[in-house]
Amino acid sequence: MLWYKDAIIYQAHVRTFYDGNGDGIGDFHGLEEKLDYLQELGVSAIWLMPFFPSPLRDDGYDIADYNAVHSSYGTLEDFRKFLGSAHERGIRVIIEMVLNHTSDQHPWFQESRSSRDNPRRDWYVWSDTDTRYKGTRIIFRDTETSNWAWDPISKSYYWHRFFSHQPDLNYDNPAVREQMWNVMKFWLEMGVDAFRLDAVPYLVEREGTICENLPETHAVLKELRRKLDEQFPGRMLLAEANQWPADLRPYFGDGDEFHMAFHFPLMPRMFMGLKLEDRKPITEILQQTPEIPPSCQWCLFLRNHDELTLEMVTDVERDYMYDTYAESKTMRLNLGIRRRLAPLLDNDRRRIELMNGMLMSLPGTPIVYYGDEIGMGDNINLGDRNGVRTPMQWDGGTNGGFSTADSERLYAPLIQDPVYGYPAVNVLRQKASEHSLLNWMQRIITVRRSTEVFGRGSIEFLYPANHRILAYVRRLGNEVVLVVNNLSSTAQAVELDLRRYKGNILIEMSGKNMFPRVGDLPYLLTMGSYQFYWFRLRRI
Amino acid sequence: MKLVEESFLTDDFLRQLISVGEVDILVSLPTHNNAKTIGAIVQTIQSGILNWFPRERAVIINADGGSRDGTPELVRGVSIDDARPASNLYALRTLHSISTKYASSPASGVALRTILAAAELLRAKACVVMSPESANIEPEWISKLLRPIYDDGFDLVTPTYRRHKFEGLLITNLLYPMTRALYGLRIREAYSPEFGFSGRLGSQFLGQNVWNDGTDGAGVELRFTLAAIAGRYRICQSFLGEKDRIERRAADLVPAVRQIVGTLFSALESDFPVWSTVAGSQPPPTTGADHEVLLEPLRVNRKRLREMFSTGVAELESVFQSILSPSTLTELQSIARLGEEEFHYPAELWVRTVYEFAASYRKSVISRDHIVQALAPLFRGRVFTFLTENRNASADEVENNVEALCLEFERLKPYLLQLWKSGE
Repeated sequence: MLWYKDAIIYQAHVRTFYDGNGDGIGDFHGLEEKLDYLQELGVSAIWLMPFFPSPLRDDGYDIADYNAVHSSYGTLEDFRKFLGSAHERGIRVIIEMVLNHTSDQHPWFQESRSSRDNPRRDWYVWSDTDTRYKGTRIIFRDTETSNWAWDPISKSYYWHRFFSHQPDLNYDNPAVREQMWNVMKFWLEMGVDAFRLDAVPYLVEREGTICENLPETHAVLKELRRKLDEQFPGRMLLAEANQWPADLRPYFGDGDEFHMAFHFPLMPRMFMGLKLEDRKPITEILQQTPEIPPSCQWCLFLRNHDELTLEMVTDVERDYMYDTYAESKTMRLNLGIRRRLAPLLDNDRRRIELMNGMLMSLPGTPIVYYGDEIGMGDNINLGDRNGVRTPMQWDGGTNGGFSTADSERLYAPLIQDPVYGYPAVNVLRQKASEHSLLNWMQRIITVRRSTEVFGRGSIEFLYPANHRILAYVRRLGNEVVLVVNNLSSTAQAVELDLRRYKGNILIEMSGKNMFPRVGDLPYLLTMGSYQFYWFRLRRI
Repeated sequence: MKLVEESFLTDDFLRQLISVGEVDILVSLPTHNNAKTIGAIVQTIQSGILNWFPRERAVIINADGGSRDGTPELVRGVSIDDARPASNLYALRTLHSISTKYASSPASGVALRTILAAAELLRAKACVVMSPESANIEPEWISKLLRPIYDDGFDLVTPTYRRHKFEGLLITNLLYPMTRALYGLRIREAYSPEFGFSGRLGSQFLGQNVWNDGTDGAGVELRFTLAAIAGRYRICQSFLGEKDRIERRAADLVPAVRQIVGTLFSALESDFPVWSTVAGSQPPPTTGADHEVLLEPLRVNRKRLREMFSTGVAELESVFQSILSPSTLTELQSIARLGEEEFHYPAELWVRTVYEFAASYRKSVISRDHIVQALAPLFRGRVFTFLTENRNASADEVENNVEALCLEFERLKPYLLQLWKSGE
């Protein structure tokens, strides 16, 4: 039942992964073809970005029909086939569900705006003024100036927390709540294993509040969870709620709301800690992270399809992140940085490995963003967040092996620069090289999956005097794993207080080599730049 | 790294330094039983670092001369790190506060040597020494003493202060005018408990043979400033504000003279190739005022100063015969007989006195320590005259008088050179 705790999740977009029919756009046929690749990599779940019919003004997060597949990606039957093939390989499927809003092209909204008397009028949030809910922040500050948009058809304002073409559904309306459960049920009955519920803090609005994280919103979510558990036990809900840990905690409820939630504040602090060569940002945010119910889990990630969000950092931290990771203004978007992992880390293999090592060993379930396992680059000349959504680079041939279509027909240009371009960075080439990033990722995932301690164990931070060293002990029952990360670009010596583990020998989990037995003295380790160790502690 | 040579660093301190690692900013605090003030001072320093150097790697290092009041523990207790989340200061990164005790006496020389060694091992780019007694320290001081080094490439930042016109008289009547005349740079506070320096200057000075010269290391901060001038390092001044007034008893003068005059005279020997070729003087770049004068009334026992001068001239006649020229000694004996109303120790005679002392120090006509101590009663006579001349003087008039004395030191510099060369 707790499969999500041990999962390695791979995030992909159907459009970007592999084009099975040669039209220049990735599709379910293509994705199904590449399931063996994912299985080899070691992933146990795949999270798909929205693939529903949509005008695609927000990359599919503007859904126009919840019960179908966008024609560019195939058919419902294609999806069913893909789902079956994934399950055959032991890969679970997580799909996106955008509860908060629809596209303005959705028939529901078209009906709602058609007249004030339409039965679906109350499915969205309408107002005669644009002054209600004044205390609500604007999320897409680069493009929107208000959370209200004027509808010239019904001559009133509608509420939208994201783009103005994405009107918010009205969750005060029981018919909306019922309908959205029906949508979820549609996919659950088909066999999907989990939903990533998009933008959940914003479901309900109340005057005099910031319209986020409201009790009424939690009530809606709890009701969905209750129905899920009753009718589809073993399935999972993953929350997208970009909030501080203390504000996120209620989304787990008493184990009766979300199974998992993204830990948004941790990710920028991992980058910050690496740049500062100081563990403080990482340990501090994890110290502030509240306990969650035993059945729940954090979802950790380094990069995803959005910008590297800097909403959950202080102004000082944000300025630092901008100056150190996005010197060029074109790399910035909203309150974040629209770059992929490898370019953010200057394509430094040691830093990429260290960050992935932390991702895989800190408490939570890791998500690998498609292409990051081979160190793909980005294209900051593409607008919005499209620079990190370019076609997957499978080989060095035509269109990087992504599609047989004419390159002009591709949904987006491939990365072509000399460093990150598909001739240099591709799956085929890396498969052939034992020491490639891809093969390293495969190995680290294998080690991670060799024990449940990373997904389910407790964490205890050691605080060695050397602040460049991030060290922690993961523990599950009798299994104890010591993780030591050197965040510094230079070699470091560190003394660890391991007296409570006196008598244990340390076995490095990657090479299975033994290190000296723990005694009464501080355990001295010397670590190369950006090096990390995972040690299994064994009392033999 | 000179670990073998730097064996005066304890293993425990080395272990702490290893944990700190490379830093950009090093703030040092030499202490000795400063528990009453040190907590507030460290917090002010932290505030300064976090305000003006929030992104830089920084450390606060306490070199303690054997405090028995828990001073080092207080310093160590205020580190800002992830093991101490209760800190009320927000810091982007860890800010270590570490401490070491040295075994010898709490002489400043050992403290500075420890600080310089730590700076070199940590490859600190910009360093500052702060006084553990500065009750009026402001966070801005950190910026004022470090920014010129960190941002503008200076190697030494000396402070300037707002002082009472009768405060720091050894500086205004001897140290400032003499260093200015000899070294050609108008450094107002060449011997200060607060100053900033670059890592490269610190390393260069650490390697100099000044640590085992037979003195107890007192006055080594002055030596540091003089070495920077002599080494043609980039020096500037930064105005810090009001200087704490420390009430000193008359008995404090002798150790102060030994520290300041002894160090200055000692440096003149090694720096002769430098100062002998310098003519005139230039002001260093200065941020803010190069001095400010407070004028409020201050009670000074001038009568006692004159009495101690006269007594000294009489009792130390044989000593002065070894040090001073006959004409200078005769003039001093002459003014020693004057009553309080007529007493006047002119600038020209004072400069000649000092220069003759310097030359005799070099020749070691008697014990060098005795030579330096013998200057104390004469200095009291000079102070009497300075107080009299400036009793009702405005700030400008005081400055004009100091400037006149400086020019006298510069004018008579050939006399010192002549004395110096006659001893060769």
